Amino acid sequence: MADTVETAVAAAGARPVERGRWERWLIAGIAGGVLLRLAMLLGLSVWFEELGTAGDWIVEGLPWLVLAFAGLSLIAVIANSASGFSLSGNRLRGHVVGWTIAALLLLVFDLLGPQFKPAVSVLGKPARIFIEFCGEHGLFLAAVCLLVAGALAASGSEKQLLSRPGIFERVWALNLTAKIAAVPMMLVALGVFTGGTVWTVVYSFTDSRLLPREKWVGLAQYDRLWGEDRWLISIENLLIYGVCSLVFSIVIGFLLAAMLDQKVRFENTFRTIFLYPFALSFIVTGLVWQWVLNPDFGIQGVVRSLGWETFTFDPLYNQDIVIYGILIAGLWQGTGLIMCLMLAGLRGIDEEIWKAARIDGIPMWKTYLFIVVPMMRPVFITTLVLIASGIVRVYDLVVAQTSGGPGIASEVPAKYVYDKMFLGQNLAQGFAASTMMLLSVLIVLIPWAYLEFGGKKRG
Amino acid sequence: MASVVVRDVSLNFGAVEVLKSLNIEVEQGEFLVLLGPSGCGKSTLLNCIAGLLDVTDGQIFINGKNVTWEQPKDRGIGMVFQSYALYPQMSVEGNLSFGLKNQRLPADEIAERVKRASEILQIEPLLKRRPSALSGGQRQRVAIGRALVRDVDVFLFDEPLSNLDAKLRNELRVEIKRLHQKLANTMVYVTHDQIEAMTLADRIAVMRNGIIQQLDAPQAIYSRPVNRFVAGFIGSPGMNFLEGTIEGGATPRFNAGDTTIDTKGYEFADKPETGTKAVFGVRPEHVMLGEAARAMPYTSEVDIEIVEPMGSDTLAWTRLGGQNFTFRTDSEYAPKEGEKVLIGFDPARASLFDAHTDIRL
Repeated sequence: MADTVETAVAAAGARPVERGRWERWLIAGIAGGVLLRLAMLLGLSVWFEELGTAGDWIVEGLPWLVLAFAGLSLIAVIANSASGFSLSGNRLRGHVVGWTIAALLLLVFDLLGPQFKPAVSVLGKPARIFIEFCGEHGLFLAAVCLLVAGALAASGSEKQLLSRPGIFERVWALNLTAKIAAVPMMLVALGVFTGGTVWTVVYSFTDSRLLPREKWVGLAQYDRLWGEDRWLISIENLLIYGVCSLVFSIVIGFLLAAMLDQKVRFENTFRTIFLYPFALSFIVTGLVWQWVLNPDFGIQGVVRSLGWETFTFDPLYNQDIVIYGILIAGLWQGTGLIMCLMLAGLRGIDEEIWKAARIDGIPMWKTYLFIVVPMMRPVFITTLVLIASGIVRVYDLVVAQTSGGPGIASEVPAKYVYDKMFLGQNLAQGFAASTMMLLSVLIVLIPWAYLEFGGKKRG
Repeated sequence: MASVVVRDVSLNFGAVEVLKSLNIEVEQGEFLVLLGPSGCGKSTLLNCIAGLLDVTDGQIFINGKNVTWEQPKDRGIGMVFQSYALYPQMSVEGNLSFGLKNQRLPADEIAERVKRASEILQIEPLLKRRPSALSGGQRQRVAIGRALVRDVDVFLFDEPLSNLDAKLRNELRVEIKRLHQKLANTMVYVTHDQIEAMTLADRIAVMRNGIIQQLDAPQAIYSRPVNRFVAGFIGSPGMNFLEGTIEGGATPRFNAGDTTIDTKGYEFADKPETGTKAVFGVRPEHVMLGEAARAMPYTSEVDIEIVEPMGSDTLAWTRLGGQNFTFRTDSEYAPKEGEKVLIGFDPARASLFDAHTDIRL
């Protein structure tokens, strides 16, 4: 039968045009039904609560209605693709059987769920959750699986007359293993990053204190945030720390790398020494530098004991320069890694470029500045991203070195967020602060992304 | 006057002797090719001439000036590299002019030189482009241009064609030759490709293990190689080597297995004694087949074992004196495998080497 279809279609010179459209409707129907039901579960049902019984019908029935539409589309697909449901010669037989079995199993769990209850206590909590899940959603999911099976059967029966696989086949059958394997990652990405971010932003408009609650207060939290000295000082500190750390990390890192690149002896030893601080956590780094900068035991104490009685160097105890004391520790910890990245970048540059520059009589510093650095653009972007993300999240260094002191002179935004959320029992204030941090990152990131990726299309 | 003089130059990397007391004189306007297998020290020697490597011992003169300890930029040289070594973030024009700007030349002079070089190399339409938007051949042209604008007497080429595909290599090879004719500069050219060496060079220096084996005109190196290494390295397909012994006399004869070759017409450097172990070298293209072989002083009947057709000609494998022997023949009249044919050659065009010292007899 498939052969006659093949010759018929070949004679017509093309495959049925309609099929693609109905397939699209089918996919849209299935996806729409599932998403709608998910949305109802996650809180969309709140909107229909006031309607009473009618609302309950909508919450329960609307996803089913969409699914029913998908079923109609499936019938249209089968009708259009003419060859129908021949399972024996089906290319996607395995997939069809698999989805059908899944549907049957779900049905069984749905109908017989209560009977399993006694056995469930033996199987433990995960099994109980699963059974309960099936009792509630088994029927719906079984219907979805059956729709997928039917659609695959229709696609698969069309055999080789396809110049390329249909939409449905591409979505559900091709590389299915890889797609299944990617599902947990996608869920995490969606749930943690997107979901968590959206949740945070939404609840920053509430007056949540110890626990999140949906009492909307508009921009009041932001009002309070920008009226607080502590937040303003945090922002100021972050700016100083950020700019200085960016500039000095890159400059010092590059200079160290350039020096190490001069074929020095004991290069490995130096590299290890420079990179070593990176192996320490920020907490340890902070403690070490707290001691080094301590006026009584640290640098100041040592110099004074050598005879310079009036020597003062106590950045951590001076409100005006305390952030620079933190900066020193941050640089000490971070430049080693930057140096290693830069060194790798320098090593990646063709030695003949250096030779050519020497023949041309270009001084070494000019060769670095005008030839080598531009060639290392990718390395610089990598280091920039690393340093920038390190700046925004700076927290533990401050906690270990000064705990935000003296007073509130060395507060940073990340510490503000943490303190409000977990110490101050003022969730919404913390959410508002973290939303501001996200916003400032986006303000930097979006124009850059536009320049970087938008420019390529034009050029 | 010699343009480049290398006098007793040695170079050691730690305990490794890379160059061993080398001596070369390159005449004004001469095209010298340094040829040898990889690791023979030819690129090292070029880098020493350029001043990119400091010599351990010896002296280098360029245009009569001792430049042994001068900076590369002060030596009056331009250099072209295998990987082109263009500055990727600058346009072609920027690449050509960057060095000149650093010499603080006046702007109109820079423009003048860039214009002249780009005319010679026909890269004017490319001046505004970045190297990444150029093909390999165009990039190498720009690299040559960068040497050209320096307005120097000596050009150094470090395997400039090795990164190009075969067709482009042939085209650019001719262009380099044309450039040399036009500019009449001194050029020192490093390559491991014997075709490049034979076609371009006024003289070839064949190197091995940091020592120059033979320094002579291409034809002389081809027809009268001084030792077995040079004989085997030059020529493709490689020279046939038959091992045997010399039988002295007025015209010494060479015995290999059941074959005896009368060396009438061969110019011995020194008449060898009877019983000297020797190697007899014949180039595959000097062997005649069939009727043409009858006119040759030496002829022999051989069995064809393998035939390798190569389009323009065919390489036939056979045995002579119990040893492998190949010869080249016209593809139209190529013998069949298993056929018995008559071959012949003129011993006067052959090369005889001492089996122990590998030196030409």
